[in-house]
Order: sequence, then C-alpha cells, then structure tokens
Amino acid sequence: MSGGTSAPDDETDLLAAEYVLGTLDAADQATVGREAETDPVLEAAIRAWEDRLAPLNRLVAPVTPPPGLWPRIEASAWGGAAAARRVASAPDVERQRAATTRLIRDRNAQRRSVRLWRGAAAAGFALAAAVAGFAVLRPQAPPPPRPDLVAALLPLGQQGPIFVAQATADGALTVRPVGTPRIAPDRDLELWLLRDGETVPRPLGVLPAGGVHLAAGTVPRGGGAKILVSLEPRGGSPTGLPTGPVLYGGSI
Amino acid sequence: MQSARLYGQALRLTRQPQLAADAVHDAFLQVWQRASQFDPARGRAEVWLSSLLRYRAIDILRKRSRENYGLEPADEPDTGPDPLHQLVSSADGQALRRCLDELGEGQRRVVLLAFVDGLSHSELAIRLKAPLGTVKSWVRRSLLGLRRCLES
Repeated sequence: MSGGTSAPDDETDLLAAEYVLGTLDAADQATVGREAETDPVLEAAIRAWEDRLAPLNRLVAPVTPPPGLWPRIEASAWGGAAAARRVASAPDVERQRAATTRLIRDRNAQRRSVRLWRGAAAAGFALAAAVAGFAVLRPQAPPPPRPDLVAALLPLGQQGPIFVAQATADGALTVRPVGTPRIAPDRDLELWLLRDGETVPRPLGVLPAGGVHLAAGTVPRGGGAKILVSLEPRGGSPTGLPTGPVLYGGSI
Repeated sequence: MQSARLYGQALRLTRQPQLAADAVHDAFLQVWQRASQFDPARGRAEVWLSSLLRYRAIDILRKRSRENYGLEPADEPDTGPDPLHQLVSSADGQALRRCLDELGEGQRRVVLLAFVDGLSHSELAIRLKAPLGTVKSWVRRSLLGLRRCLES
C-alpha cells in the first residue's frame, strides 16, 4: 500500500485512520495534519486510509451547489494570485507601489478576459465553461528541473479530469492530465496561451491524452499568462482561435 | 470530480449550506496552493480532492460545535433497505462493502456515522450512549478489522 515508504507501526496507522475517519478532536486533527507534512511514514499511512475509505463518499447524494459559490471561489482565486505576487515583490516601497498598481490593472484585465471567454463559450455552446485559477508563484528561483510556476487547470461544475501545468524558469511548459480525459472520437483538446493584458490567445497545439512538453520560451518569464484548454474538431482549431468551449483554465 | 458531489459531502458533514459552501471554497483554494504537492502519476485526483474537502469540512464542523455546545448531531445515515448498495459500483467499493458487512452492525455504524456524518469520538459517545473510552476502542477495533479484511 505505502510503496517505497516503510510500513507504519500500529499506533501510527491507527492515528492516520482516525484522522481520515475524522473522529479526532480539533486539536489532535490539526496536529496530525501538521505532522504528516514532515513525516513521510504518517503521510503514506494517511494516503492509504484515504484510498481505503474513499468509496464511502459515494453514499452521499450529490447536491447542486448554490449559484454564488463558483464566482466566490473565482474571486478568491484572483485575490490569492495578487497576494502571492505582492509577497514576491521587492521590499523597495516605490517599486512595491508600482507593482501593486500594475497588479490591480492585471487583475482587472484577467477578470475581463475570463468573462470574455466565458461569454464566448456560453454563446456558442450550451455547455457552461467555468475558468478558475491562480498562480502559485515561488519567491526564490528553485534549481532547474523543479518547476517554479505551477497551476492546476480545473473543470468546475462538471465531471472531468484535472490538468496540472508546470513551467520552469526558462519558460518551458509541461501539461499533464490527472485522470483520463474522455473526449468524443471526432474531437481534440487544444492548448492556448493567453498573456495577461491580451485578449487573443495564441495556439500551443493539440493537447495529446498523455500530456505535452513544450520548449523553453513558451511561457513568459515570471508568469503572467493563462493556460487554456478548448474543445476543438479533430486536429485542432481550423481558424487559429478557439472555436469550442474553453473547458479548463488556470493562471501561471 | 463533480462539484455537486463535493458540495453534497460538505453539506452532509457541516449540516448547513453556508458552512458547506465555505468548506468547498476553502478546499478549492487549497487545491491551488498544493498543486505542486500532487503527484499526478498516482492518478488519485478524486480521492485527493474529496479528502481535502473532508478535512476542511470537519475542521469547520469541530470549531462550530465548540462555539455552539450541544449542536444537534446529524440524522442517522440512510436507513433504506440497503444503504450500502451504492458501494457495489466499483471494485474497491465492493471490497469495502464486503469488509463492512464482516464488521457487524455496531462497528459498521460507528464507521459510517464518523465518515459520512462527521461525528467525533465524543459525539459518537452521546449518540451511541456509551462511555467515551468504549467508543474510542470500538472505532479502533472497527478500523483494524477493516484493514485486516481489505488486505487479505
């Protein structure tokens, strides 16, 4: 179950099980969660119990979330990106003020472009396309092969896989599916880059089922763009612009 | 993962729409913050996401019941003719169901009340009218029984 990690003793495993079951009091629950971040044996034991008990989630009937929930998540997501960038900016007061001004402008532009793409999708197709995402910006540049920009591209409000996009400092981009995308045989997914402040996305080609790795320079240095995935006819968009709904999106 | 499924879980655990919405909101933000921790090779996005949601919902629930001491525990889980029938739709669900059946009525109830309805050790003690220490050992015995059965 726990792969390469050594097996937990019974006490550790029971603590992991109670944590996953959720019976511990608030303080113990928080302590176990924190310890798992630095204890790989405990972490693996928790994952194993999550896998064992996960089928129980099916016993609960799905309930449609209130309509205000996704806009709220989206709003928080953009706010989170701004906060992350603010932390990363230089301590110099003037530069910080300039950066903050730019951030507010960027965020407004992001909001506008998200609305644009949502509108386009809703107009052309009955399928509602929800786009949410924000950058996880690492303040210190990590050594290569570790990615310094990460975004999860999530479908909201519908069943589907998650994509994880990672960019290295040189702007190389890797997009990997988590799960198996189910696409009609006459359709392909196509990957797009929408730079902040721009309203027209640039095509990055068809996204194969197994994911794709794109060369250095694909993503602007330091991020500041959205990665979008649209549903297109087989072979990709015939026009060079998305013709189908934008199913997944995230900022990087 | 279907958002309705996540929201349904959160609602069952927190029992209030506002708290359920908070839990789903927080869980999705955590997905972004922790995207780099996720190992896609393990292919368990659904389990990862629903686990993040459960931990968040349980945290909200525990803090809430501390504030409102005596908060009414959730209703009994689905008591239809076969409340576990949804489990048989997958291989891992079938194995879990077989092992829950092996546990016997009392121990099975403890697991379901905890996982599905989010009852803590002390809430279980109130619900099952048993001393706290006894409930804790029931929970541990149920979990050990499940693990033994699932690994055999």
